[in-house]
Amino acid sequence: MGQPFLEIEELNKGFGGLRAVDRVGFTMGRDEILGMIGPNGAGKTTILRLITAILKPDSGLIRFRGKDIVGLKTWDIVNLGIACTFQNMRPFRRLPIIANVMVSCLSPRAMKRGEWVKKVEAKAMDALEFAGISDMALEKASTLSQGDLKRLEVARAVATEPELLLLDEPFGGLSPAETDLMAKSIQRLHKGGRFGRLHSEGPAMIIVEHKLQQLMKIVDRIIVLNFGTIIADGAPEEVVKNREVIEAYLGKGGA
Amino acid sequence: MGLFGFYLKRLYTIFKGEVLVLPSRIVVILFFLVLLFLPVVTQDPYLLRILILASIFAILAASWDLLSGFTGQMNFGHALFFGVGAYTAALLNLHVHIPPWGGIPLGGLAAVLTGLIIGIPCLRLRGTYLALTTLAFPIILLGIVFAIPGITGGELGVSGLARLTGSRMGDYYLTVVLMIGLCTIMWKITDSNTGLIFHAIREDEVAVRASGINTTRYKLLAFSLSGFFAGISGGLYAHFMRIAGPSNLEISMSFTVVIWAVFGGIVTIYGPVGAVFILFPLLEFMRFWPEYRMLMFAVVILLILLYMPEGLFPWIRHKIETECPRCKIRNIATRKTCRICTAELD
Repeated sequence: MGQPFLEIEELNKGFGGLRAVDRVGFTMGRDEILGMIGPNGAGKTTILRLITAILKPDSGLIRFRGKDIVGLKTWDIVNLGIACTFQNMRPFRRLPIIANVMVSCLSPRAMKRGEWVKKVEAKAMDALEFAGISDMALEKASTLSQGDLKRLEVARAVATEPELLLLDEPFGGLSPAETDLMAKSIQRLHKGGRFGRLHSEGPAMIIVEHKLQQLMKIVDRIIVLNFGTIIADGAPEEVVKNREVIEAYLGKGGA
Repeated sequence: MGLFGFYLKRLYTIFKGEVLVLPSRIVVILFFLVLLFLPVVTQDPYLLRILILASIFAILAASWDLLSGFTGQMNFGHALFFGVGAYTAALLNLHVHIPPWGGIPLGGLAAVLTGLIIGIPCLRLRGTYLALTTLAFPIILLGIVFAIPGITGGELGVSGLARLTGSRMGDYYLTVVLMIGLCTIMWKITDSNTGLIFHAIREDEVAVRASGINTTRYKLLAFSLSGFFAGISGGLYAHFMRIAGPSNLEISMSFTVVIWAVFGGIVTIYGPVGAVFILFPLLEFMRFWPEYRMLMFAVVILLILLYMPEGLFPWIRHKIETECPRCKIRNIATRKTCRICTAELD
C-alpha cells in the first residue's frame, strides 16, 4: 500500500489573534493508538475537531487513507470511518440512552455495514452493552453520571463502526476504578472482534488525555503539543524524558 | 362467518390490550368517534362550521409542531406555508379550473417548494435569528401579493372559488377525516426513526452530525414535510371559505399557530390538535362579549402557561398516567403495579 492511514500536513487554525494550531503535521498507521498530550490550550481538542470538520482549518492538508478530507462535511467524514467523542459530553438529554445510540446506528455507514441486522434497536443495545451501560438503556440521558456519560459517548462513536476513533479526554472526571474500566474497554475495542451484532475491526485511535499514567499504559506513541505546535513525538518512555516536554508542563527550571 | 368472528375477536383483544388500558388512548378514540358521529345527533350548520375550521387549523398547528416542536427550528412565519397553499389552490381553481381535489394537494406541493426555498437560507441560522428571519418571509410574500393585484386580487384576495364538496356535511366529513388521517401520519412520522433524528437535532445538532447523520437533509425534510401539511390545510381553508386573502399571511396568523401549539404542549402532535379544538370554539364562544374577547383569551392562555409550563395536555396526561420506573411503560395512575413488568409504581 505505502500510503499512510492518516496524514496531516501543515495544519493551521487561528481564533482571532490566537494561533491554536500552528503548522502541525504527523502521520499515523492503521494499528496505532496515538496519545496526544499538552498543557491546557495547547490545541489538542482543536486538532480533533479539525479532523472531524466540526471546525474548518485555515490551511493545511488532512488525508485519510490517501483521500483529502478537508472541506468535507462532518457526516461525510464520520461515514468514511472516523468517529469522535466530545470532551464536554453532548448527549441528547431528553432522549432515552438507547435513542442516543440509535441516532448513530441510523447513519448511512452503520446502516450499510449492518445490513443483516434488521433492528436498529438491537444494534444500539449491543453498543451499550459494549460500553457497559445497557442496564440503563431506557433512562433519560440527563439522569446519567459523569462516568456513564463518557461511556455513552464511546457507545455512540462505536456504533458507527469506525476505523479511526478520536477520543477527547475519555478519562476526564472519572474515578480511578472507572478509569481502569474505560482503559480496558479501549484496549478491548482496539483488539477488534465482534461485540454482539457490532463488528469492530479494531480502530486506530487518537486519545487526548491529561491523566498521563493511564494513557502511558495503552498508547503506542505520544505527541506532545504546546502553544499549537508539536514539541515531541515518540514512544511514551522517550517522551516523558524529553526536556522540552518537562518544561512545558512544569515551567522552566522545574526539572 | 367463523373466520369473521375469529378476526372480530382478535381485533377486540388487541383493542382491549392496547387501547383500553390507558385513559389517554381512550380519550383519543372517543374524540375521534364523537367527531365522526356528531352529525347523527345534530346538523347545526354553525357548529359544523366551527368544527370544520377547527379541523383545518388542527392540521396547521400539528404541522408547526412537526417542524418547530420536534426539530427545534423555531418558525414564526408558519402562515407562509398556509398562505402559499391557499393562494396556489385558489389561483389554480380560478384561472386553470382545477377542482379542489387536485388544487389542494398541488397547494401542498407548492408549500413544499417554498419550504425548500426558505429552508436553504434558514439552515445556517439558529434560535432567535431563525425565528426572526422566518417571521419576515410571510411579510415578503404579502408585499408580492399587494404588488401584483392583477393576479392575486391585492387586498381583496381571490374569491369565488369552487366549493369544497357542495354540502356542509360533505365538507365536514372531508375535513374531519383528513384531519384525523394527516395528524395520524404526522404522529407516525415523529414516532419513526426519522422522528428520532428530528428530536436529536433539537437537542444537539453538532452531536447529530458527529453521529454521521446529514443534518442538512433532515432539516430540509422537516421544512418540506411541515410545509406540505400546512399547505394542505391552507388549500382546504381557501376552498371552504371560498376565498384566499392577505389575512392568511398576516403575522397574527403565524403567532396564533404558535399560541395553539404552546398551549396544548409542543413536541407531542396531539397537544396542538387538542388545543385548537379547545381554543378555537372558545374564541367563538367569547364573541358574546366582543370588547373583552381577546383579553379573556389572553388570560386563559397565561393561566395555563403559568401553571402548566409544558402545556395543557402533557400536564393532564402526567396527572392521569404514571410511568413505570423500570420499563418506562405508561400506566393508569390508579394502578399499584406496572401492567407489563409488575414493578411497584409510586
